[in-house]
Amino acid sequence: MKDIIKLGGILLLVTVIAAAALAMVNSVTKPKIDEQKKLVIENALKIALPLAHKDAIVKVDSSEVEYYKGYKTPEKNELVGYAIVAKGQGYSSEIETMVGVDTAGAIIGLTVLHQVETPGLGTKIEEIRYGEEKPWFQVQFLGKTPEDLAVEQDGGNIKAITGATISSRAVTNSIRDALNVLKEHLQKAEEAVKE
Amino acid sequence: MSMTKEFFKGFYAENPVFRLVLGLCPTLAVSNSVQNAIGMGAAATFVLVCSNVIISLIRNMVPKKIRIPIYIVVIATFVTIVDLAMAGFAPDLHKSLGIFVPLIVVNCIILGRAEAFAGKNSVFYSLLDGLGMGIGFMLALTLLGVTRELLGDGKLWGVPVFGSGFEPVLILILPPGAFLTLGLYLGFFNWIDKKTKK
Repeated sequence: MKDIIKLGGILLLVTVIAAAALAMVNSVTKPKIDEQKKLVIENALKIALPLAHKDAIVKVDSSEVEYYKGYKTPEKNELVGYAIVAKGQGYSSEIETMVGVDTAGAIIGLTVLHQVETPGLGTKIEEIRYGEEKPWFQVQFLGKTPEDLAVEQDGGNIKAITGATISSRAVTNSIRDALNVLKEHLQKAEEAVKE
Repeated sequence: MSMTKEFFKGFYAENPVFRLVLGLCPTLAVSNSVQNAIGMGAAATFVLVCSNVIISLIRNMVPKKIRIPIYIVVIATFVTIVDLAMAGFAPDLHKSLGIFVPLIVVNCIILGRAEAFAGKNSVFYSLLDGLGMGIGFMLALTLLGVTRELLGDGKLWGVPVFGSGFEPVLILILPPGAFLTLGLYLGFFNWIDKKTKK
């Protein structure tokens, strides 16, 4: 019995010291990590809403959906489009994309925020071919509206990556779903204004 | 006990991957590119050196019965430090290594060295042991990473090295390729061993 208390006490002491050390490290790295996360979103927004002014992208956080509104000038008077984060289960990870649409609902920009797909196959959703500027898989989405979005195997016109249909489908379907949710929300908001 | 022997044994004679065949989970999983291999090797080396030093320092205070949980706490603490630091200062590497950074906790090389070496030897030798073993692990990962990335993706450190006519052997960067490459290297080193012993 005495032994258990003694051993337990020692273990407790060790874990307390470890926790204290980690708390210290966390206080140093936390602001850095938050900064990195913010930077990732900011850079993604620049790609998703290429026409928007960098200081004129506002986050809208309604109860239903979270999205961004982009304006052309810092005074926020000319709306150029909306951006939303789409999430879909890929082959080995959840794929997150930031996608931007203009006010008519056509895609004007997109970029992958997070993916841990199979190297050489699924990761091609981000592959930029030599001499090109944008990832060739993502370029297919530009100008399309949610109704057009489906991979060829599902009867659509997005050419899936050879050997990575699941990753391609995850990106395509998650973007379509996210845009539909956004569209519905915007329509509702518009009707509410009219009434 | 000689300093050079304790340091260099991890490079070849007791290389954690090719000789002791330990820590195969991260070896197989993240050796698909040179960058991942070196990142993982460096992270594991840091954890190995730190945990070896701390465990060696406290080796006379730790009761035998609960040494393993205490070792695990020490190791987990350093792994979390690496994880946080990597997320803050090397976000790209952190992203590509993913779950395998936190999984360093259960890498048997680290617990193995704590149990087999640091718990019984002085701080200085434990430091040398950790550093040598860590570098040995990194060398092994890099060797696999170079082979797999070069042949499987036609790149080195993410830069294409062959012309467009090169058709990569895709299977090498996929999970089965990890087993194939590791198996061939293990066989190769065993063969060398046999030759040199004769």
